[in-house]
Amino acid sequence: MAGMPPHTQPALEARHLTVDRRADAGLLRVLDAIDLAVEPGTLTDVVGPSGAGKTTLLLALARLLPGAAGELLLAGEPAFAIDPRVWRVRVAYLPQRSALVPGTVGHNLTLPWRLKVRAGGERPGDGALRAALDRVHLTDVSLDREVSRLSEGQAARVALLRTVLTRPAVLLLDEPDASLDEESAEQVGLLTREFVDVGGAVVRVRHLRSDGHADRRLRLVAGALTDEARS
Amino acid sequence: MTAVQLAGGVVAIGWPQLLLASGFVLVTGAIALWMQLGVTKDLAIATVRTYVQLLALGLVLRWAFAADRWWWVVGILAIMTVAAARIILKRAPDAPSGLFLAAVTSMAVTGITVTFAVTGLVIGADPWYSPRYVIPIAGMVLGNSMTGIALSLERVFADLDARKDEIRAMTALGASPWEAAHPSVRAALRAGLIPAINSMAAAGIVFIPGMMTGQILAGADPLEATKYQIVVMLMVAAAEIVGAALAVLMSYRRRFSADGVFLEKGLRE
Repeated sequence: MAGMPPHTQPALEARHLTVDRRADAGLLRVLDAIDLAVEPGTLTDVVGPSGAGKTTLLLALARLLPGAAGELLLAGEPAFAIDPRVWRVRVAYLPQRSALVPGTVGHNLTLPWRLKVRAGGERPGDGALRAALDRVHLTDVSLDREVSRLSEGQAARVALLRTVLTRPAVLLLDEPDASLDEESAEQVGLLTREFVDVGGAVVRVRHLRSDGHADRRLRLVAGALTDEARS
Repeated sequence: MTAVQLAGGVVAIGWPQLLLASGFVLVTGAIALWMQLGVTKDLAIATVRTYVQLLALGLVLRWAFAADRWWWVVGILAIMTVAAARIILKRAPDAPSGLFLAAVTSMAVTGITVTFAVTGLVIGADPWYSPRYVIPIAGMVLGNSMTGIALSLERVFADLDARKDEIRAMTALGASPWEAAHPSVRAALRAGLIPAINSMAAAGIVFIPGMMTGQILAGADPLEATKYQIVVMLMVAAAEIVGAALAVLMSYRRRFSADGVFLEKGLRE
């Protein structure tokens, strides 16, 4: 079990998380009774060979995977007591790609506040959005820019920014810097770290190389999570 | 009663002439054989079906008109509705299973409201079930809403599949199934309404609509036939959009789990 200091309550906890997937030869156990606890203000990297179930793990934690078994707790509160949509607002999963919807950058950044689950929540104004874009070095990207005209690196930063702006308790990032140029990858890493430094918890699926931001690294192999040396 | 009287004084088609029309099929069949289109058998079957089904329809209608009972009219409408629902499900192979109820319900609601709105309010049929008006109008309403429903159902599920990444991203942000599916629902309803808009735009310029043609051939005044046709075209548009909207709204949710997660291909039963 990944190290859990006794003095804090985990932001997110999974107990005996189990997922089976239909494969050519019957059922394949992708996640085998995984236990995981992530503390507020920490960044956990999950590494492992492709096809090991890293994305599956994030989807299950976000309650985006029908059929996942086991127990999930958000700040000690069991999943069954929390509406799935409210859960996803607090445990935000960011897909690896194609996370933006057709429309402008501004349309995408304000999308979360047009959803009923955040009705009454305060939507950030254009000034705040502009400042947020500038902070991740997207100074030349206007709010009116169509997202189809963004580079991959720009789109990845806009998508991450959108999720971070919703202030979830836990951020689940699926290869956020895969196939990004160095500058974009660095900005994504810094934005992620910033989120952690103000108390957010992050679980991040990554390739093998380390960017120095993670507080701990877990390896997912054959359905089981093991602690790696801290990066 | 002779055929001439039935046709209201117009030149009637006799049985020998009807058989002569098979000559058209022989020409079509000859071309199909010569070009090796591989449809000769289908053509033969379709020809026989045309004769059998339409003659049967003629006999049923003649009998229903003579019987003039409301329960026979309602029974015929019910059979038409169920048949249409079955055709819809065949035409939308991507749709989740268990949509029969949605198809029947949307066909029935559309059929009843639009048909009786036309026969009752516009035509003023008396009695309300007057088979001469209700059955042909219902046939047109059901036929067109069937097309609209089939197109929309096919489109909504194809579009949802195409947008699966976007839907996942939206769901991850807290979107409900309705919020995530909404763009697909809109695209599907547009797709269902386009045939009606196209035929309304082309009517009278590109073609003389079928019902008006029939009335003119049967000796009606062209202007009177036009009035009927306008009512029918507007009614058809209403039938398509009402049917499509009901069917799509009753069924899109089936592609989502109880927890509101879109069931993409790998997650379906």
